[in-house]
Amino acid sequence: MTRPFIGFGLGLRTEHYQHVIDEKPQVDWFEIISENYMVPGGKPLANLDKIRKDYPMVMHGVSMSIGSTDPINIAYLQKLKTLIERVEPLWISDHLCWTSVNHINSHDLLPLPYNEATINHIVDRIKQTQDVLGRQMLIENLSSYVTYNDSDMTEWEFINEISKRADCYILLDINNIFVSANNHHFEPEQYVKGIDSDRVMQFHLAGHSYNGDMIIDTHDHDVCDPVWNLYEVALGHFGAVSTMIERDDNIPPFEELRKELAIAEKIATKVLTPEQLNISENITLEGAA
Amino acid sequence: MSELRDLQRRFMGYLLKQSVAIIADVQSTPVLSAKDRLDIYASAYKLRLKEAITSDYGKVASYLGDDQFNQLMERYIEKHPSHTTNLRYFSVNLPELVRDEAPFNSLAELYELACIERAFADSFDAKCIHYATLAELSTLPEQAWETLQFNFQSSLQILWLEHNTFPIWKALSDDNIPPKSEKTTASAWVLWRGSDLISHYKVLSGAEAAVLGLALDGETFAVICEKLLVFFSEEETPMKAIGFLQSWITEEMLESFNW
Repeated sequence: MTRPFIGFGLGLRTEHYQHVIDEKPQVDWFEIISENYMVPGGKPLANLDKIRKDYPMVMHGVSMSIGSTDPINIAYLQKLKTLIERVEPLWISDHLCWTSVNHINSHDLLPLPYNEATINHIVDRIKQTQDVLGRQMLIENLSSYVTYNDSDMTEWEFINEISKRADCYILLDINNIFVSANNHHFEPEQYVKGIDSDRVMQFHLAGHSYNGDMIIDTHDHDVCDPVWNLYEVALGHFGAVSTMIERDDNIPPFEELRKELAIAEKIATKVLTPEQLNISENITLEGAA
Repeated sequence: MSELRDLQRRFMGYLLKQSVAIIADVQSTPVLSAKDRLDIYASAYKLRLKEAITSDYGKVASYLGDDQFNQLMERYIEKHPSHTTNLRYFSVNLPELVRDEAPFNSLAELYELACIERAFADSFDAKCIHYATLAELSTLPEQAWETLQFNFQSSLQILWLEHNTFPIWKALSDDNIPPKSEKTTASAWVLWRGSDLISHYKVLSGAEAAVLGLALDGETFAVICEKLLVFFSEEETPMKAIGFLQSWITEEMLESFNW
């Protein structure tokens, strides 16, 4: 399929609700954190509904725990499906990780060993999840800080194989590639160029922090120059990919983030043709088989 | 998938109890040991949960001070591993820990303060379907009054407090020094969210507390009127009952009627 392109978006954060509702700033779309709205009602859902009237949205989850060895959490998926029906997002995503085991939730995105057994396990679970949700999903690469002895392939080989066999898409986090490249000593450009282009549906950009020799994915700073450079490489390799900036801490005023997003647009304009940057219409990802 | 399951259990064991079995699964680098790498996750685990607790119980945090509140958070994290996919609900059992365990239960008002904060959080994102109106009340058929029951907003909660905890909460909310804790006559406070999406609260009279409790339990308007006879004369009771009902509607506590 031709990759749909929906332009440049931002993460919707509570600090910016009023500005977005009152000023209706120019942003192509918003990404919401699904779990923030998996509540019975009140202000979060009221604000979501108001903003959804004016902007397309995609949904990004943090608790699907697709890599867990616990049974698939059907109750969670049903709640997610209810939110999907409310928001009618262009697509939904979660992380290629595990967050819980023995029904205890770490509330963190924990890494998996990259090997054939894990691939088989996760492919099966993504297929089941897509069946329950009735739609294809995107899986996102992590920032990680450990390497398992049981891993016997690269992360990009791992994510390619899963997306191909599960028939899902990839949310490629450019900052996470940079962070993990530093922490695991690989070339970030090799990762970008190793990813199957057909499967990439969205980019994430974000800032990070240094902790000694490790880089931590903190989402509390501006996007740094090396990540912008990697973004430029990624656009050159993949073509137009819908892009958003994540900011979860030390959150600046909305217009500062909007200016940062303009940098992404400027880079895309430099690398791509106007035709490539045309916003797609009537976007629907296929339902699960 | 038993190998992956075992690995995940070992990893979780490190986060929860610093069980070292997972260290053998992780590669060290020339500059960072496997343990150091795992500690990044262990630190983040506690930090994230503490942020969630602090966000939910900011007034308890201010009241206790940093050291004691940190002690409380450590105890809660140790005793209540998260069984929810949503961090919003992680700290729901904190008031009971405060009530049941030393040294926190030596401050009797602390449990009430934690209950107030939990009630506000629950009210904030409670479901709301509809706000009953006086017009809807006026169109009830005459026979409805014989069996009339009330559905209240799911955000509505009654808190029975035995200390001056609401003034303490209010002072902390306004960044003022809270008054000294005092035991008071037990008083009922009602807390609910209106159509302005703001949580409201007020202290209830003994009569209103009694009948609001009955109404919440599903008792009929007739039973409520009977109860009011304990507080008012036969002449006063019908007007008092209608007065309470009208205020529940105008203050947006009521969702709908059943008859």
